Amino acid sequence: MPTVSTVSPGARFIDPQILARIGNLELVARWVVEGFINGLHKAPYLGVSIDFAEHRGYMPGDDIRRVDWRLYARTDRFYVKQFEADTNTNFSVLFDVSKSMSFGSRGVTKLDYGRFLAACLCYLSTKQRDRVGIVTFDDDIVERVPPSAKHFDVTMHTLDRMDPGRPGALGPPLHKATEFFKRRSMLAIISDFYDEPEKILDAVKPLRFAGSDVIMFHVLDPAEVDFPYDDSSSFQDLETGRKVPVVPDKLREQYRELVQDHIQALTALCSQNRIDYAFLNTKAPLDLALFKYLAKRHKMTKVR
Amino acid sequence: MGFLVPLFFTALAVLGVPVLIHMIQRQRTEIIEFPSLMFVRKIPFHSLRRQRVRHLLLLLLRCAALALLIAAFARPFFRSAVLVAVTGGSREVVILVDRSYSMGYGNRWERARDAARDVVRDLAPDDQATIIFFDSGAQSGARSTRDRASLLAAIDTAELGAGTTRYGPALQLAQGIFEDSDQPRLEAFLITDFQRIGVDSAANTLLPPGTVLTAVSVADEDETPNVSVSGASVQRDFFSSRERAAVTVRLANRGNETVERQVALELNGQEFESLPVTVEANSSATLTFAPFTLEDMAMPVSVRAVADALPHDDVFHFTVAPGDIVPVLVVGGAGAADANRYLRTALAPGSSPSFSVTVRSVDQVTTADVAAARVVVLNDVGLPSGQVGAAVRRFVEAGGGLWVVLGENVRWPADNLDLLPGTFGEPADRDGRGGTLVFVDYSHPVFEVFSAPRSGDLTTPRFFRYRPLNVGPETAVLAKFDDGAAALAEHAVGEGRVLIWTSTIDNFWNDFALKVVYPPFVHKVVEYLAAYTSPTAYLTAGQVLDLAQYPGAVDLDVVGGNLVVRDPSDDRVAVGRDGRTGFIDLTEQGFYEIRDTDAADSASVVVAVNVDLAESNLERVDPQELVAAATGRAAGDRSVTTQRELEPEDLERDQTLWWYLLIGALGFLASETVVSNRLSRTELDADE
Repeated sequence: MPTVSTVSPGARFIDPQILARIGNLELVARWVVEGFINGLHKAPYLGVSIDFAEHRGYMPGDDIRRVDWRLYARTDRFYVKQFEADTNTNFSVLFDVSKSMSFGSRGVTKLDYGRFLAACLCYLSTKQRDRVGIVTFDDDIVERVPPSAKHFDVTMHTLDRMDPGRPGALGPPLHKATEFFKRRSMLAIISDFYDEPEKILDAVKPLRFAGSDVIMFHVLDPAEVDFPYDDSSSFQDLETGRKVPVVPDKLREQYRELVQDHIQALTALCSQNRIDYAFLNTKAPLDLALFKYLAKRHKMTKVR
Repeated sequence: MGFLVPLFFTALAVLGVPVLIHMIQRQRTEIIEFPSLMFVRKIPFHSLRRQRVRHLLLLLLRCAALALLIAAFARPFFRSAVLVAVTGGSREVVILVDRSYSMGYGNRWERARDAARDVVRDLAPDDQATIIFFDSGAQSGARSTRDRASLLAAIDTAELGAGTTRYGPALQLAQGIFEDSDQPRLEAFLITDFQRIGVDSAANTLLPPGTVLTAVSVADEDETPNVSVSGASVQRDFFSSRERAAVTVRLANRGNETVERQVALELNGQEFESLPVTVEANSSATLTFAPFTLEDMAMPVSVRAVADALPHDDVFHFTVAPGDIVPVLVVGGAGAADANRYLRTALAPGSSPSFSVTVRSVDQVTTADVAAARVVVLNDVGLPSGQVGAAVRRFVEAGGGLWVVLGENVRWPADNLDLLPGTFGEPADRDGRGGTLVFVDYSHPVFEVFSAPRSGDLTTPRFFRYRPLNVGPETAVLAKFDDGAAALAEHAVGEGRVLIWTSTIDNFWNDFALKVVYPPFVHKVVEYLAAYTSPTAYLTAGQVLDLAQYPGAVDLDVVGGNLVVRDPSDDRVAVGRDGRTGFIDLTEQGFYEIRDTDAADSASVVVAVNVDLAESNLERVDPQELVAAATGRAAGDRSVTTQRELEPEDLERDQTLWWYLLIGALGFLASETVVSNRLSRTELDADE
């Protein structure tokens, strides 16, 4: 299996094609996450919860229960103790279940890949005592599981029975989903993002402006990136049904350039709007996505 | 070869269909589902096309079959040998030679005649020819003749005319000759300087189909400078009780260089004065000669500039007659001299006509005063009683003019009310700023002079009092105040005219007399009542003079007299010799003198005739443009030749080609079937 040799030793179990043969999502998630964690030499991103950070002088209005009485006894001054990551967070997956996500050229579809990813992320979050939930959408909200510490199973169930069928659109459902996340949350959007970069950001920015931290997982099949077709064929759009006669030899290079331009544009725009972006090729293992997630989660622990 | 229905060739566009099929539909059954074609659609469409054509033989067979089918439906036919033969054979030739006076520029006329002679000499023995000389009209000699000598003689004796260029009449005459001709070939030669001014007349003329029109230009290729005397005006005055006239002439230079010319004024054929003048390039200049004393009769006057390449427009003829004097009798109230002052002052200036004003109070006026007048003005007085009143009535009935001005002193005798257009009432006052004239009949001769923009505003005078006039519906009200009351009304009595003005003509009831429109108004009222018509100084070559209507010929007995006209060439011709009594065709430039030889004191009438100065503009039109307009096709296109009607058998035989094309198309389709079946089988085998 060529991909095994290119990833970390523990990641050999998380090849998407192998994962696709496992029916139980929770099992998949646990396997991936624990394998992923075991493969790391060190786990610097773990150890959140209530670690002490520093003292600072008491200010009127501070909760008097947080005054360090011992220090007061020694110094005769009021100090307040501050802790890192003194709370757990809401984690929600916003999953694009439009028809285009059902595409897969290597046995695993984008939907499957996204499903594994979402399951792993939820599992990781649950491990960290975060509340997990999910919103699936195509051109409207399809299903919604609000974030809760008890909703891991429901979320897994929702992921398991997702069925892509309708054309997708980012704007309307994400605008509607903004209403669901009043509290600061961590949101992972999993989609193939087939739209103009500006429109995509217009759809995502309201979530960011509402205070949530957003990671965009851009999932594409290798065939969508490399366009490996040879024969002239009639290509049919999965969502619109429109057919276009295509001579792949003639447009492959231009197509690849356009895809790369699209990815670069999304990267730039996300960076400008302080949104994390990760491009995921379904032939690649899931560790990149997990790293992205953990990096983001770690940033949140710095909040005091 | 030609086609009966060439429109079918537009269907050749369908040849693109098989080409498209061969290029892009090769694997139409293979459909690849793809998540989104967003990026594919951004790539220019041409790159999506398949560039390589498959099954070239099949494509050629299909295209050939379609092309033959389309060609068959277009019904091709061969021109028969009979048709081709008519490009040879005898010709009907019309030679059109321009004789307008612009052909007198340089040696154009001689070159035109030489060109016409060349055409005549080139005629084949069987050819028929007609020669047409034209300017504003067209004349032909013997029609469709084979007599070369008579044609050459007509050219030799032809003279330059004084008319303007108009191609229309000449082409229409040629059109009639061609339509009457039975010759197989029709050919016209247009020999002219191709002036643009003549093109409009040819707009609706189209020579018969197949006519070959050859343009022969005698215009100068280089610049054509030309100075012309473009007009003259006369200023009159009196000196030592004799009327004098000073002539001002205008010269136009259409060249690009400043020129100096000596210009002479001739009176009765004798040079009176000669002055130099400088005319800037593409501009005009005026020149005023010393005044001369007028004679009792109309005097022929010519202004002659030193001749240039086009001599016809270097001279300008006109007649100057003594100014007409209109005697006006103004009858006012006793001791009311001020009331007439504005009227007298307004009538004082003027030379054509001038007015002789006699003022009488109503108790002093006599019948002799009335008899001597052409216009009587009753200024704020009623009709005089007794014999004077009767004389005024007779005066009007005999054709005189009466102007009744209604002031507060007017009392009109009841037995002469029919002299007025209606009855009038007591004075009516207008409050505030007074009334204004709101309705004016600008089509009436009195007000016509005010009709043009900025020609005087008749709404500025304010009327504070006037006498309401009750008129019948048949009465012509020429002006009304803003309250609808009549201001000026007209009434015909016998041969004469009566105008009634319902306010005063001094500044007592209105301020009309203080306005600039007052003098011209008074002049026009008096001229109209006197039935004055301004004399005609000159006419234009090409016009027909109707002596019965000509103001200067009122003394001639047009019907019963033995009128003889001496034209500018000094030829004497009896008027009416051509059956048109009293009509003279003015074809030459100069003076025509008409005399009644039967009359004892046979006074002559002199009529000045000038060329139309529009012809002085030598701007040219492209000969090919005119040829295209006259023939309906591009110049030099000799492809359309005269065709005679073919027999039905000939027509049928010439059109049988479409059968062969149809059979060929069927053959190609059959081949296509065989080839495509074989190719399909081959591909199926390869797939298996």
